[in-house]
Amino acid sequence: MKIPLLVSTGILLVALLPCQECRALSKSPAAAHGALRQPDFFQQQQQQQQQQQTLPVLLRMGEEYFLRLGNLNKRPVGSFSASSSSTSHLQPEASASNFFGAAVQQLQQLPERSLGSPEEGETEGEAVEREKRSEEPPISLDLTFHLLREVLEMARAEQLAQQAHSNRKLMEIIGK
Amino acid sequence: MPSAFQFQCHFVLIFLAASKGETRYLEVRDVGEDEPFLLLSEDLKRELSAGQIYRRSLRCIDMLSIEGQFTFTADQPQLHCATFFIGEPEELITINYNFVNIDCQGGDILKVFDGWILKGEKFPSSLDHPLPTSQRYVDFCESGNIQRSIRSSQNVAMIFFRIHQPGNGFTVTVKKNANLFPCNVISQTPSGRFTMVIPHQHRNCSFSIIYPVVIKISDLILGHLNGLFLKKPSAGCAGMGDFVELLGGTGLDPSKMFPLADLCHSFHGSAQMKIGCDNTVLRMVSSGKYINRVTFEYHQLDLQETENRKENSIEEFCFPSI
Repeated sequence: MKIPLLVSTGILLVALLPCQECRALSKSPAAAHGALRQPDFFQQQQQQQQQQQTLPVLLRMGEEYFLRLGNLNKRPVGSFSASSSSTSHLQPEASASNFFGAAVQQLQQLPERSLGSPEEGETEGEAVEREKRSEEPPISLDLTFHLLREVLEMARAEQLAQQAHSNRKLMEIIGK
Repeated sequence: MPSAFQFQCHFVLIFLAASKGETRYLEVRDVGEDEPFLLLSEDLKRELSAGQIYRRSLRCIDMLSIEGQFTFTADQPQLHCATFFIGEPEELITINYNFVNIDCQGGDILKVFDGWILKGEKFPSSLDHPLPTSQRYVDFCESGNIQRSIRSSQNVAMIFFRIHQPGNGFTVTVKKNANLFPCNVISQTPSGRFTMVIPHQHRNCSFSIIYPVVIKISDLILGHLNGLFLKKPSAGCAGMGDFVELLGGTGLDPSKMFPLADLCHSFHGSAQMKIGCDNTVLRMVSSGKYINRVTFEYHQLDLQETENRKENSIEEFCFPSI
């Protein structure tokens, strides 16, 4: 009597207890290390994608934009024009960072505009510095809609690439 | 009682008793078909979440639409830089300072702006934002030790920074939070579909698309349309407390854009308009007395449509870019 009871109990326990082999979620240390290296590879992939995507930005000529920090009422001393002659020396393979870097470099060569009088305030006390900072007009950025759309599309591409990477990683985990 | 029958009874009883505890594992299996994360062990969940913090360096002019940790380090004096943040329409942006190494006394700047500001024009406009312009800037040099976490009021925000000393910089973490009733939105894409709801709130909400688009309003519900009209529809929307207007312009600020059409009567169907402006805004004005809702779709005007536009064109106001 007791023996069939014990046998049936043993059968149930064996049948219902989760077994180690059945776990699809174990991960070897090598696989985990490989997953950790994926972000670097992903970033390299991203940079390559960004380089490919920046070609249209460099090929468009005639764009004009300038950055201005400080008094919005003052007209800028000059503006930077990305004409064909200035960008022709840039290699087509240059990344977006090089494009913006070159643009910002050109802008920084322009005489620095006065932000009210922060230079005068540097020699004064800390309280005066803060007062002058609060009196400064709202900071703004002068960028064309075209450039804004370009960076927006780059951000969108980055988001899609990141989502694809996350989905790929999840499928790899689920599939094991 | 025969022993075989007793054995079967015991077997059934044990099976029923065991099923109360162990079949939860099977239930989890069934649920896991729809929610695979429930299948993951705690260690793997931890590893998956830890490995998913996205990190990269920032450029002087950059735009971010994903969560993560971003670092800017100046390799040379960078005096005119900004980072734009944009999320989905139903998201808010939260910016946390992890590390800041700038020289405030030396003229460095690090400011977060609640919205976008371009050429002096702000989105949302001063009329549509709950805070005055001065309070929309959070200056790290003034409040760095007090406010290290800043949340936007809509799906866009930006950081202005100026760093003189090479090697200086900062690290921020960007996160997104849900916004149940998005009010002021800039669309990430030139095409899409959105429903704007203003539930008993006295506020104005704008949906901005920084592309020339064809916009189709399919459903408009304004709460005051329940009785006889006292005014003829041709009288326009002047004096109405609740209406929707379409704006077009070349700047970012909806209050400086040109009104192209206004709708102050509910309808079901579709009303389409081609707007060849750099920026198209659908703005809903709500008195707070009703629940107002508008559903619309939009897609980008292609080059041919832009050049050959005949109807609904505002050539004297808009100069759409290619």
